[in-house]
Amino acid sequence: MARFILRRFLSGVLTVLMVFVINFIIIKAAPGDPIRTIMGKETDDPVLREALMEKWGLNKSIPEQFWSQFSNALKGDLGTSIIYNRSVNDMINERLAATVLLGIVSSLLALVTGTALGIFCARHEGSFIDGLLSTISYALDAMPSFWLGLMLIILLSSKLGLLPTQGMVDARADYQGIKHVLDVALHLVLPTLTLVLITMPGYFRIAKSSIQQVTSEDFITTLRATGMSRKKIFDKYIFKNAILPTVTMFGITLAFLVTGVTLIEIVFSWPGTGRLTMTAINQRDYPVLMGIYLVMSVSVAVVMVLVDIAYAFLDPRIRYDK
Amino acid sequence: MLKKIANKCIRAFMADRQLRIGVIGIVCLLLIIIFAPTIATHDPYSFDFKRLLAPGVGGHILGTNHLGQDVFSMLVYGVGTSLKVAVISAFISGALGVIIGGVSGYIGGVTDTIISEIINIFLMIPTFFLILLIISLFGNSIVNVMIVIGVTTWPGNAKLMRAQALSLRERTFVQSAVALGETKPQILFKYILPNGIFPVVANTTRGMAGAILTEAALSFLGLGDPNIISWGQMIYQGKQYTTSAWWISAFSGIAVIITVIFFYMLGDGLNHVFNPKYNYGRSK
Repeated sequence: MARFILRRFLSGVLTVLMVFVINFIIIKAAPGDPIRTIMGKETDDPVLREALMEKWGLNKSIPEQFWSQFSNALKGDLGTSIIYNRSVNDMINERLAATVLLGIVSSLLALVTGTALGIFCARHEGSFIDGLLSTISYALDAMPSFWLGLMLIILLSSKLGLLPTQGMVDARADYQGIKHVLDVALHLVLPTLTLVLITMPGYFRIAKSSIQQVTSEDFITTLRATGMSRKKIFDKYIFKNAILPTVTMFGITLAFLVTGVTLIEIVFSWPGTGRLTMTAINQRDYPVLMGIYLVMSVSVAVVMVLVDIAYAFLDPRIRYDK
Repeated sequence: MLKKIANKCIRAFMADRQLRIGVIGIVCLLLIIIFAPTIATHDPYSFDFKRLLAPGVGGHILGTNHLGQDVFSMLVYGVGTSLKVAVISAFISGALGVIIGGVSGYIGGVTDTIISEIINIFLMIPTFFLILLIISLFGNSIVNVMIVIGVTTWPGNAKLMRAQALSLRERTFVQSAVALGETKPQILFKYILPNGIFPVVANTTRGMAGAILTEAALSFLGLGDPNIISWGQMIYQGKQYTTSAWWISAFSGIAVIITVIFFYMLGDGLNHVFNPKYNYGRSK
């Protein structure tokens, strides 16, 4: 068990390192001269160029440059935005809470509803609802998340005027206390709904197929033959055995969710890192893009390692094997 | 051998509904590409003052966009872009995956340990962000988009191919080739890759669907190639007009969904064909 955790932990560390290396290579290989961008088109003063190279550390050797960036990031310093001349850390920090809120609420809701529906369909295989839900989940899987968001805006807000579509709070009203919470919750409905619909099919499929698989195994038939009630067999044996793949799915979905959240935030003008990504792309603010990419990759890696460790705790086969 | 495969394909085509829908759907899309000039009612590149016309008005079946371009004709011409992105990027990803995974699984030992660790690491990196970063730095031409999608999505294929190679190299026909003195590259390309490629092919079709969605998402972020017609860009353009002209985004999104579903069906169907354990009696 300890070996397993150590192994997963090391591969997590390696992943973060790899993200760094890729990051660095991309920046170095990209066309264009950063100093030229900073100096502007007209000036070409060699003294100024030298000074700027010195300031940004570009006159050092490549390994030295890598090391200084790497050690800075390890200390938690992600650099400075070219456009706003502000620390990238601050820019990401002030946006992170909104993204995390949206991400956690929707991933948990998707997990619960997707799994519940999957279990329901597995127990009523071949029923009308099973067919309907399976078809819907197939279609949802093929849907671009941002398109679904736009369609929900058109249907629920533009046509019916039901829900707010933009931002996290009503900018015209300055709500305090409980009203503020309700206001945020109301703004959270549409983006969350979109993300839940997009990520649910994964949980639905995995729950359905693993329940079906466990149900068809011999030990369940044996239990049936002993005369144990269906409910007891399901609660005590099928569910416990079939729920494990869902844990893995949570990790996989998370990487997918990171992308989804970015796009959905843009659709709904949600003030999180997704919006920051969009503005950084438009302004070609690379340090900010890099910073967001690093933060995202590291958090995905951390969660995936945690999920794997949780899995090992839950599944005795892994616990005792290694 | 080939005849046997052909027979199996025909049988599977008749028996598997998903495969049938997928194949027929994609053939239809190819026909649309070939006959695009005939099918399109207008020139999708011509601008007009008849802006933001609703579907059906003035002979525009699906309306016009903010520049007066005919939405239906743009959709017709957009098929080519989506399929091109799908096929080329999935081919790159498949080829890289097959070779890297094949080498790793066949050679084994330290090489395998290192390569499979790299594969696992790449599987943990959020690919879309990487693509986004590269495209915004290196420029958003459609060629770049295709290459970058291909180069960043190979690990899944490599993992599948590695598993295949691991089991194939123990098989008798490979062992006898070793005994006959064939070299490692010969064995890899003559026996391991051709025999283990089928699951990768099925996965690659899923990858094509993924590539279409990724291209659409990049376009939606304003990183699409402005010189071509793509469904993702149409959704992006329509975003500003959700209240006044819903049809621009709506129909282009539906086009994406239908195409992606065809590729999913093809992939699932191929998986059934290549999986000897799959029982056709049970498929609906």
